[in-house]
Amino acid sequence: MTGNNGYRLGFDIGGTFTDFVLIDGATGAVHSYKTLTTPSDPSQAVREGWTVLLDRVGIAGNDVETTIHATTLITNALIERTGAQTAFLTTEGFSDTLDTQREMRYDIYDLHSPPVEALVPRPLRFEVRERMDSFGDVVEALDEKSLEAAIRAIRTAGVEAVAVCFLHAYKNPIHEQQAGTRLARALPGVSVSLSSDVAPEIREYERMSTTVANAYVQPLAGRYLAQMERDLAAGGFRRRLYLMLSSGGITTGETAARFPIRMVESGPAAGVLATVFYGEGLGVRDLVAFDMGGTTAKMCLIKNGRPVMAHTFEIARVHRFKRGSGLPVRIPAIELIEIGAGGGSIAWVDEMGLLKVGPRSAGADPGPACYGLGGRSPTVTDADLLLGFLNPDYFLGGRMKLDRAAAEAAVGGLAATLGLGATEAAHGIYHVVNENMISATRIHIAERGEDPRRLALFAFGGAGPVHACALARALKMPGYICPAGAGVVSALGLLTAPAAFDFAQTYVAQLTPERLHALDEVYAALEEQGRARLREAGVPDDQMSFERSADMRHHGQGHEIPVDLPWQRFATVDLDRDLRPHFYEQYEALYGHAHRHLPVEIMTCRVRAAGPRPQVALPQAPAGSGRAVPKGRRPVYIPERGGFTEVPIFDRAELPVGSEIEGPAVVEEIDSTAYVGPDSRAVVDAHRNLVVTFTDSVPTTAPNGSGG
Amino acid sequence: MAQARARIDPITLEVQWQRLISIVDEIDTVTIRTSFSTIVGESHDFGCVLMDQDGAGLAQAQWSPPQFCTMMPLTTKVMLQKFPRETLRPGDVLITNDPWIGSTHLPDYNVISPVFHRRKVVAFLGTVAHVSDVGGHRGDLEAADVFQEGIRVLPTFFFRDGRPVDVIHEFITANCRVPEMVMGDLHAIVGTHRMGTKRLQEFLDDYGLAGLRELAAEIMDRSEAALRGAIAALPDGVCTYEATADGYLEPFTLKVRIEIKGDEMWFDFAGSSPQQQNAAINAAFNITYATTVYPIKCMLVSRIPNNDGLVRPLHVTAPEGSIVNCTFPAPVKARAKVMKHIPPLIFGALESLLPGEVIAAAGGIMPFHFLGDDPRFGTFNVHVLPHGGLGATRDADGWQPVAYPHNSTVTPAEIMELGCPVLMLRKQMIPDSGGPGRTRGGLGQEFVLKCVAQNPITATVRPDLLRYPAPGLAGGGPGALGQVLLNGEQLHRFPPLELRPGDVLVLRVPGGGGFGRPGERPRERVRRDVALGFVTARAAYEQYGVEIEREVKRA
Repeated sequence: MTGNNGYRLGFDIGGTFTDFVLIDGATGAVHSYKTLTTPSDPSQAVREGWTVLLDRVGIAGNDVETTIHATTLITNALIERTGAQTAFLTTEGFSDTLDTQREMRYDIYDLHSPPVEALVPRPLRFEVRERMDSFGDVVEALDEKSLEAAIRAIRTAGVEAVAVCFLHAYKNPIHEQQAGTRLARALPGVSVSLSSDVAPEIREYERMSTTVANAYVQPLAGRYLAQMERDLAAGGFRRRLYLMLSSGGITTGETAARFPIRMVESGPAAGVLATVFYGEGLGVRDLVAFDMGGTTAKMCLIKNGRPVMAHTFEIARVHRFKRGSGLPVRIPAIELIEIGAGGGSIAWVDEMGLLKVGPRSAGADPGPACYGLGGRSPTVTDADLLLGFLNPDYFLGGRMKLDRAAAEAAVGGLAATLGLGATEAAHGIYHVVNENMISATRIHIAERGEDPRRLALFAFGGAGPVHACALARALKMPGYICPAGAGVVSALGLLTAPAAFDFAQTYVAQLTPERLHALDEVYAALEEQGRARLREAGVPDDQMSFERSADMRHHGQGHEIPVDLPWQRFATVDLDRDLRPHFYEQYEALYGHAHRHLPVEIMTCRVRAAGPRPQVALPQAPAGSGRAVPKGRRPVYIPERGGFTEVPIFDRAELPVGSEIEGPAVVEEIDSTAYVGPDSRAVVDAHRNLVVTFTDSVPTTAPNGSGG
Repeated sequence: MAQARARIDPITLEVQWQRLISIVDEIDTVTIRTSFSTIVGESHDFGCVLMDQDGAGLAQAQWSPPQFCTMMPLTTKVMLQKFPRETLRPGDVLITNDPWIGSTHLPDYNVISPVFHRRKVVAFLGTVAHVSDVGGHRGDLEAADVFQEGIRVLPTFFFRDGRPVDVIHEFITANCRVPEMVMGDLHAIVGTHRMGTKRLQEFLDDYGLAGLRELAAEIMDRSEAALRGAIAALPDGVCTYEATADGYLEPFTLKVRIEIKGDEMWFDFAGSSPQQQNAAINAAFNITYATTVYPIKCMLVSRIPNNDGLVRPLHVTAPEGSIVNCTFPAPVKARAKVMKHIPPLIFGALESLLPGEVIAAAGGIMPFHFLGDDPRFGTFNVHVLPHGGLGATRDADGWQPVAYPHNSTVTPAEIMELGCPVLMLRKQMIPDSGGPGRTRGGLGQEFVLKCVAQNPITATVRPDLLRYPAPGLAGGGPGALGQVLLNGEQLHRFPPLELRPGDVLVLRVPGGGGFGRPGERPRERVRRDVALGFVTARAAYEQYGVEIEREVKRA
């Protein structure tokens, strides 16, 4: 799978569109295709898409060396609760933990907010007598009789999947494994997820929740992947299918079918990988991926060429953007923050007369008022149109005409409520939605101890490049980048992902020199699992890499921080000279201070096993000469310039490589529009990416364009 | 009446207000991540508030317990009387845990930092956190006075000019059992204030503001106007309500009289029981005030981010020396046993006016705590805050065990067992413990805890609703009573318990009250409750009059 000369196909099934990117490894030529997702049978759009694309390029399925896929299937099944009938088996006394959760309310003032419903209803929860303690010692052996009874009851219930989570199984999985073996034998065809496999980490509710979510989507994922393999075979594809994971790695169908929960949010993860890839081409390693679509905006910090990772996140929130209102899953994931800010986000006025934008969205149907599909509510896209950012005759390259009068009517109603003029109200919408994204981004960056002044913003998605200017300004970034072909960035990201899988093992220990030997054993075992998984994906041993990290804390602390561990053998590491200071430094970088007199404790060991990153070269635009020539001019609302100001409009496809555009200006292309504000200069690089730098500030590091 | 004067346009105001909230949210998040104790890190028993230059509450973290955030400005104002604003310097941090100045019991340390901008104090950051230990006796409920409950730190400098003040550091360190945990938490808080100060200064720079005065006034005035509008929409009149609760050795009664007049409300607790001498359940006024205004916010302006504008139209009084306005040196450690009965009182009084907005009483909280020494665990001190069921509202059943009226999380069994020689053998909801009603109260839960230490250890338990259950509303029945059993024997007194190896402690955390008459509950919902195990077939018949045939039950 690591060859780079054949054709590589990536496709991403999103909520609205299914995107395809085909790269010719020999020439670097990139072909893309976009079609509407077919929700009742997603494979329909997939078959159509690859047929069109292969025909266009004139190759057969057999010519495609690697196929990589991302899907919203898993996310949707969890949100819509369309997964399998699942049983839950746990230690006696703990089956209610799926209901009681962490016992916290996600909104302290709203007494009407609904609770978070578990994926497994109570009648399908079963208990067995067994018990480990926190040392992993058996307190009570697995009781045969109760296991038998549970298995009988599960068989009677006729479920498709079983999740098993016993207390302290992260420490000693033997009881879970025994139960798993018995379940598999007694219930052929039923998929079984063990917490010690899915998420061997301490804190029982989070581990239960993760295991249950995995089991819940497993039958669906299995059928889906099998169907996809058959379709590919029927289409003449001979090579393997790889699946994108939320961690930013890809894996085989077999592994994905075992851990389907790891495919949650795989499409957005691909967008972040694309950002890393473009950043490398531009020589920028510290940046923020900013993907603003119709309903949400997603942001992700990339430090030193690597996306920031999280090990817990929430899925299927009752209140989509309220922390605590979802099901926690402990899986490795690129840490994306997602807020309800997109082109379709609806503007409204609250009980205090303040302008709010989102999180409710007009979606694609009826969509913003200007779509002319019956939407009446003022949205961000309506405001963008009225402010002159969008061209009513060139939306989706002219395939869709925007109705300016409808946008005026919608925003006008809001303006009347606010006691403002229509333009002021439209600018208010633009400003408020930007600030929502800015606040979220600022916290995301700050929580990782980063300084936005040394980061570049990489803007994609339909609405990203319109709003990037305001975000980068407010965050005091030196500039921003609007890639060419912003609409299929995520699908391209698929093709830049290495085969990779992450492993974790809770191992609670205060660090002492003697314990360092034990640590080597823990890591060796995790790496052995990694090696096996990568071999299965066809990665040769000499191309594997293993990155070690751990969740660590000061002894006695309640929470851990992730710490990269650059050592291959801990037995030879000097604890007081190397390891402890290494932890304190990382802690200080995050929080400004560490407690250097306190001992250090490890909670969970982590290994990322990865194959090599495939090399992808973007095609160069033909070398140009001369200046960028605008295709027209139109008024854009620029408060710094006193209101509507005539600005030049450029066509991205016609921009000469190496040319420069002085803001304010608008650059249009088929699936997005980029705004270059005042006191900014955009350089068109060799791939027709726009690299925008603010000219009125002294940046600490400028995002240099390779073509500039 | 305050008008929403348009000093700041609605767009700028929205943007700047959200920015302030995001700053306190970040402080909240970082507090959890850098704290040391389970009580802060796992249980979220702390609150963060941003106050204006005069100490008025301006923004609180979205997940902070509401009562902390209402009390913090009261505390800050008292501190500023002792240390006037002009005398403060950058890097100063003030501290107190005085129950009559702070949040009404000693374990809550109030940490307050002035924020400087252009050489002037423009704001204060305040965090109140329940630390693991403040010395004193090990129990919760039995004390003759506050002196037995631990050290009392009157307002003083914790840091001066950015440097720790030795005498207070040594004093706190020397007078508690787990100094590293306590100082770890307090220093983590100071760290978050430094970060918050930086964020606030950046905010002011971004907008070229000299301070928060104008913005604060606008936020508070608009919030106040919204609440006044909501109160004015209610008919003028007087409502009263009363309830009796367990107390500790003897029950107490709370009475409230609420008068609505124009756009203001008056709450008076005259007639409530006197403070108790031998039970540490007395509430100092700050918490009475905070828990009285909380239900009003929930009912009338739940979506407005909390700030002091929302308390201006509300006037609370309670007789001095009563159990809701106790006087020094009354014992106060377990004041939650009184505090949590205040919101149901307010909701009960207003039920006829706002039937869709009230909530029946909850099962509350039954904190427990293990401490001691063990060869395998070292010195340990582990808190667990388990919750009972929530009361029903007119339109929905009560949530199953969940924090209320405060907000905190339960320590996971695995984390508890990692920290101390006790096994949690069961954590399960109790059928029939939710108060019957047209909508049902949330279920309580049972904990079975077994001591596996090598030597005896100490446990404290602070139960409630052992004699007087959480009442229902509008004809709904009460939730089940709580219970505590040691080796099968029901306990009635709760000094610190000695747990010997093999001892089994059972805690039954009570259920919430129901709403409306049980007979009006749709039969299919009763059947569903039986199928799910929330209600037994017998209770379905006795309480709801619904007969359950055997085949309806699953497996």
